Amino acid sequence: MTTSDIPASVRTNSGNNIGESSASSTDKTYNDLEGWLSKLSVGTPLAESEVKSLCDMARETLLNESNVQPVPAPVTVCGDIHGQWHDLMELFRIGGSAPDTNYLFMGDYVDRGYYSVETVSMLVCLKVRYPDRVFVLRGNHESRQITQVYGFYDECVRKYGSANVWKLFTDLFDYFPLTALVEHSVFCLHGGLSPSIDTLDHVRQLDRVQEVPHEGPMCDLLWSDPDDRSGWGISPRGAGFTFGMDISQKYNEKNGLSLVARAHQLVMDGYNWSHERAVVTIFSAPNYCYRCGNQAAIMEVDEQLNKTFLQFDPAPRRGEPHLGRKTPEYFL
Amino acid sequence: MFRGDDVSARVAAANRLEAVATVLGEQRTREELLPFLTDGVDDEDEVLLALANSLGKMIPSVGGGSYAQSLLPPIELLLMVEENTVRDAATASASLIASALPDEIFQDKYASMLTRLARKEWFTARISSAGLIANAYPRLTQTQQEEHLKLFAELCQDDTPMVRRVAAQNLGIMVENVVQVAGRCSLEEGGVVTTILIPLYETLSSNEQPDSVRLQTTENCVVFGRVMGNLTLIQRLLPLIVATIDDRSWRVRWTAAAKFADVINAYNPIPGAMDALIPAYEKLLQDPEAEVRTAATFNLAKVAQGCESMILPMTAVGAEGDDDVSAAANFTGERVAAAERLVKRVTLMTEDDSEHVRAALAMVATELAPILGRDATITHLVPPILLLLRDAASEVRLNLISSLESLNKVIGVDLLSQSLLPAILDLAQDGKWRIRLAIIQQTPLLAEQLGKDFFTDKLSSICVNWLGDDIATIRDAATRNIKELTALFGTDWACDHLLPSIDEIRQNSSYLRRLTAVQACGRMAVEMDPAIAQTEVLPLILEMATDTVANIRFNVAQALGEMGTICDPNVYDQQIHPVLMLLHDDPDRDVRFFADKTSLRLEEAFAQKR
Repeated sequence: MTTSDIPASVRTNSGNNIGESSASSTDKTYNDLEGWLSKLSVGTPLAESEVKSLCDMARETLLNESNVQPVPAPVTVCGDIHGQWHDLMELFRIGGSAPDTNYLFMGDYVDRGYYSVETVSMLVCLKVRYPDRVFVLRGNHESRQITQVYGFYDECVRKYGSANVWKLFTDLFDYFPLTALVEHSVFCLHGGLSPSIDTLDHVRQLDRVQEVPHEGPMCDLLWSDPDDRSGWGISPRGAGFTFGMDISQKYNEKNGLSLVARAHQLVMDGYNWSHERAVVTIFSAPNYCYRCGNQAAIMEVDEQLNKTFLQFDPAPRRGEPHLGRKTPEYFL
Repeated sequence: MFRGDDVSARVAAANRLEAVATVLGEQRTREELLPFLTDGVDDEDEVLLALANSLGKMIPSVGGGSYAQSLLPPIELLLMVEENTVRDAATASASLIASALPDEIFQDKYASMLTRLARKEWFTARISSAGLIANAYPRLTQTQQEEHLKLFAELCQDDTPMVRRVAAQNLGIMVENVVQVAGRCSLEEGGVVTTILIPLYETLSSNEQPDSVRLQTTENCVVFGRVMGNLTLIQRLLPLIVATIDDRSWRVRWTAAAKFADVINAYNPIPGAMDALIPAYEKLLQDPEAEVRTAATFNLAKVAQGCESMILPMTAVGAEGDDDVSAAANFTGERVAAAERLVKRVTLMTEDDSEHVRAALAMVATELAPILGRDATITHLVPPILLLLRDAASEVRLNLISSLESLNKVIGVDLLSQSLLPAILDLAQDGKWRIRLAIIQQTPLLAEQLGKDFFTDKLSSICVNWLGDDIATIRDAATRNIKELTALFGTDWACDHLLPSIDEIRQNSSYLRRLTAVQACGRMAVEMDPAIAQTEVLPLILEMATDTVANIRFNVAQALGEMGTICDPNVYDQQIHPVLMLLHDDPDRDVRFFADKTSLRLEEAFAQKR
């Protein structure tokens, strides 16, 4: 390069910079988000300040969504992730990456697994970057109380040195929609039905921006389970109810639904039909808690509302291709 | 703080010693802080650990190496404590301090500290001494060296097994240091190594020792082998290392198995050693414990490489009852290359009960090929590899496929594919998606070597089938494979054998399949003759711009960005640009985003062309 070239190249650069700064602020937001996504996709947690701006953006996005958020088909419906970030990456390998594939996640992103921070940051980031392609619902673990017991709180303190990030995320969880409705036909939520709710309009009327209460309709939606016994039953979980086939069939009929899709319970095959196909349970954390030995599954709902289940196993561990080459020291 | 009630505060204080010392200055640190610390060495282990770590970093704070001996009194106390993490930290710090000390202080203060520790009644002090004494050896005076060697010998025969274990861990270092200081004469008859160290080694590896001590046998053997070339000595050592393979503890055998390549390398120059060692290794490959077999298997290629030029007696393969391995050394019949003898093991091991052993075998077996050479590979290695390719465990198959390349280099893909094709076809439809992926990733390479006709005949339909796989990663890899194949076999071939099927996938009812078609079009087009790509592929992409699903429309925008640059300016103006304008006004924001991104990219590209 000759010396006379230098000013020219500097001029070109500054020209570009001016062009960028005049571009809309959305471009900057997109750039931030894509930067964060590429960080998170290799498992690096965001900085605390980045989490702060992410949560600010996410609140704006989520505030616009309904308690019964309409979701267009086609979409891939997923259940619990529980901080198993490696397996979330495997899920994307199986189902396709966003935004090419549309996703609806039905809650329980945090707790139990060791990478709750990365998992929830990733999903919230995707939600903000592609609000029409990715939907995230609230699970019973998206709560201040539960996360203090089951790991998310401790993980935040361990990774950030304070509870600030935990506070940012749990404050954001209050804004997550409770349920979603795919093409007026498939009702998706984390837990199950509630004796205080007959119609979708009842759900729409709830004031959801609060900590998950100990009882009442909002609590039930996040805590209930389907059961073989008919009618309503007391849940062994101490929150929510169990509901029988009569309840789900009546609910589907009354609201013109074909199916209730929910998560919340470990099922060994990753998915499980119940109530004569009125309810399906989807669980997307393979080998749950790194010891349950279950498969995970996701449900692809296509344009004609045909459903295909894809099952998958845990992602192979990092650095160890397919086989532990070393016997750990403690065996010796 | 250091005397406060709160343990965590005392730990914090111990961690901040350097800072405190900086404030006090070098002299007051030596005269006040360190004596104060020496008084306080009966605290909680956490505090002591922090203290032990800090002391090693304080050499500059006391005024550098010539004053570093002031750090020794507190360290000496820490080297005696019960908790081993504290002692380990103190040992590390002691080494740091020792290396900073000038010779005369080292020989005076440090050496006498080690002597004191070695003679302490309580065994923990002796453990620390055993860990430090070998490293200190070279810097001592000759009289001290004699004394310390004697101390070390005592530690090797200490009553407490923990002391003997640490001494055994340091025996190798001692041997190297002794040989370095005293020269090769120490190895001769009557030399230090022969009279003192080898008897110690024999003692430490004897069967009466607990297995934690015997565990060091293999590693020490490597060191002994490395430092000496003396035949009479080897005669004494070989039976010891050979004995480890029959050790009653599987941990000892596992260590031997895991380090066997090192053993082979260390003894490689010694004539006749392999005649005893290779049968020993073969025995490890048949060990009753799967863990030992796995560890030995991982070393297979390295062992074969280590004795590449060795010619060995050809023993009957599978002579299980070959208890007296040294008998093999006297065998005078036909002799074969070591690798050739080992490859016969591979065949037997394909039937191993343990999946892990077979998976390990699948990972390393092909590495034998370059050592064996072409002919021996075809005769001896290909048959067991075919067996592994049909193994019931998918891990085994996957490991093998991922390592096929080294085999490929030796026997050429022609032969490989002829013998492997049935297995490959089988694996291309394996139930595990990572196996299918591994096969896809090998496909361009296979295609290149197989040639157009053979490939079209046997494999092209599989390549198209992969585009419709249930797993997204497979579909994506399939589109990349299509791109590579197009580059390899040319435009006409792609139009004849790929495009019709891709056109069909465009009509699929699932948007994820249609998406694959769009991506495949965009990726293959750039490898085609631009004129044909514009007439044959571009319309297929453009038609999809009105798909009802937004994901397809923004993938159209992306595919146009990919292939647009190879198009003629008038094709861009008349066909691509109008579609991008349409997408620019799309109701979906992601479609608009990707359309605008492509427009920007193409406008820039065509502005330069014009």
